Amino acid sequence: MSDQGLRITDLHCSVEGNEILKGIDLIVEPGSVHALMGPNGSGKSTLAFSLTGHPHYTITGGTTTLDGTDLLALAPDKRAKAGLFLSFQYPAAIPGVKVANFLFAARQTVKPGELTPGKFRTLLLEKMDVLGMDPSFLGRYLNDGFSGGEKKRLEMLQMAVLGPKYAVLDETDSGLDVDALKYVGDSVKSLRESDEGRKTGFLIITHYPRILQHITADVVHVMMDGRIVKTGGPDLAQRIEREGYDTIREETAARA
Amino acid sequence: MPSATLTDRERHLERFHATRSGREKPGRYWKIDLEAVEIPSDAKPGGSVSIDAPSSVIAVDMQVALRDHAAALARVAGVATEPQHKFAHLTAAFAGLGALIHLPADRAIDEPIVVTYRAQGDSTLFPHTVVLAERGARATVIERIETGDGAFVCGVSEIVTEEHADITYAAVQTLPLDARSFFTRAAKPGVNARIAWATADIGAALAVCDIATAIEHPGVEANVASLFFPTGTQHVDIVSTVDHRVGHSTSQTLVKSAANGRGQARYLGNIRIAAHAQGSEAGLRDDALLLSKQAHIDSIPALEIAANDVKAFHGATVGAIDDEQLFYMTSRGIDRQQAERMIALGFFEPVIDRFPTQALRDELHDALPNKVL
Repeated sequence: MSDQGLRITDLHCSVEGNEILKGIDLIVEPGSVHALMGPNGSGKSTLAFSLTGHPHYTITGGTTTLDGTDLLALAPDKRAKAGLFLSFQYPAAIPGVKVANFLFAARQTVKPGELTPGKFRTLLLEKMDVLGMDPSFLGRYLNDGFSGGEKKRLEMLQMAVLGPKYAVLDETDSGLDVDALKYVGDSVKSLRESDEGRKTGFLIITHYPRILQHITADVVHVMMDGRIVKTGGPDLAQRIEREGYDTIREETAARA
Repeated sequence: MPSATLTDRERHLERFHATRSGREKPGRYWKIDLEAVEIPSDAKPGGSVSIDAPSSVIAVDMQVALRDHAAALARVAGVATEPQHKFAHLTAAFAGLGALIHLPADRAIDEPIVVTYRAQGDSTLFPHTVVLAERGARATVIERIETGDGAFVCGVSEIVTEEHADITYAAVQTLPLDARSFFTRAAKPGVNARIAWATADIGAALAVCDIATAIEHPGVEANVASLFFPTGTQHVDIVSTVDHRVGHSTSQTLVKSAANGRGQARYLGNIRIAAHAQGSEAGLRDDALLLSKQAHIDSIPALEIAANDVKAFHGATVGAIDDEQLFYMTSRGIDRQQAERMIALGFFEPVIDRFPTQALRDELHDALPNKVL
């Protein structure tokens, strides 16, 4: 059996003593797109932060491997070096740190020695052009005074520049902004079309099915109360669009 | 030739001892009593000054100023500093070293005027910089101090301007780590004049600085920027005061400080708006970053606002590096130490931007990383 993939097995996680994740099993294969859907409070964002190693989230059981590497044993920066990327729903603002310097520092640590600053800049401007971003972004302070849409663009630019093996996109609430959705869709598409991103596996976390009009998911999971209660194809997302989460919740309750 | 006779000196020393600094007594963190600062027994007037200025302005040392420019000197010297500034009395007691920069009307100087004081082997230095800007004149003045180890420096800078003048005064204090530094800086800008202070305290075992701006005319724009960063066992004590005595002027005070090791700092940010100073706008932003458990910064914004038709803003933070910022950066592959360094250095950028020349900004960019470690 191959150990390729982002493989989450029976993952349990607590925040301040409350168990939020109650045994998650999920495998994101290279090059595949998985959608993780669920109502508010089901634990979707907790899964994203658990995978990336946020200090406030305590793993209480289970394993996660990235192409065979034990992810949970690593500090957040080592997880990124292993090839994991999280697009934040609410990225932190860091005044005084310029976007260009930050991106260069990040790229240098994730893919050391590959690019000179000059070549990096060329790559950066190329990616920004593809994403329709103004070069003036580079001189601004990281997320400082950025609009919601600008933050989203910067997250997508980082994804493009770092070329992760697995990208977790925490889009839970941004589904409210139609432009942002389209932008995320285009970004994922352009990464998948690049040499670097052809094998990237995606886990797209969303409350609303709308984002899936812009990105076709191979697999759709539904999460409720810290567990994945249903897994299916793209038709599952369409069903949620039509019916909401209630009928799935009832089915799950009947099964229990 | 000496400007202070023995009797003058005794009088000034008496006032130095009699005047309270107004600072808190030593406590759990802060270890130095400013009311009991000992003057070195070999204290004397001395040192040298060199002034880098174009010939279109009057830029002379204090001896020449006393002899040839007494009227200009009298318009500024002692006028800007308030009698309650304890350490200004000490500078006066050992008067002799100094510079007068006198800008004629409408003279705009693009290249910064650099005033450099050198201790020349003496252990004490008492520099007095006087700036007089006539109507519509514009210039940037940079003060530099060079001493040996263990120096005791006690200086005054005073600025008086006429209407529509625009003066930026910058000083980056990088004295040896066993030196002591006391500065009293004061300005009285004219109608519709602009005054900007940019000071940084990087060196010295003890750095004390008062920056006072008295707004007595409408239309003034006053900017105060201060950066300090005690590490090891350094102590830094800064008081900034913007006194809106008449209305329809604006002031912005921006202070960014960090402390590492067992570094200690105190900052008091006074904003006063008098009852009749309607239409004043005053902002005070003061952020302090603690990089070690033993480091401490006491930061006190003090707003006394007696007028009712004013816009006043103040915001202050004291804390360690934010967990969410750190997590965000490390999630991009940057290791914790580098992330902390980038965040801490980035924290100072808004105030570094207030320094008027690239050379000063570069100097700060070079000095700060060694303090973050």
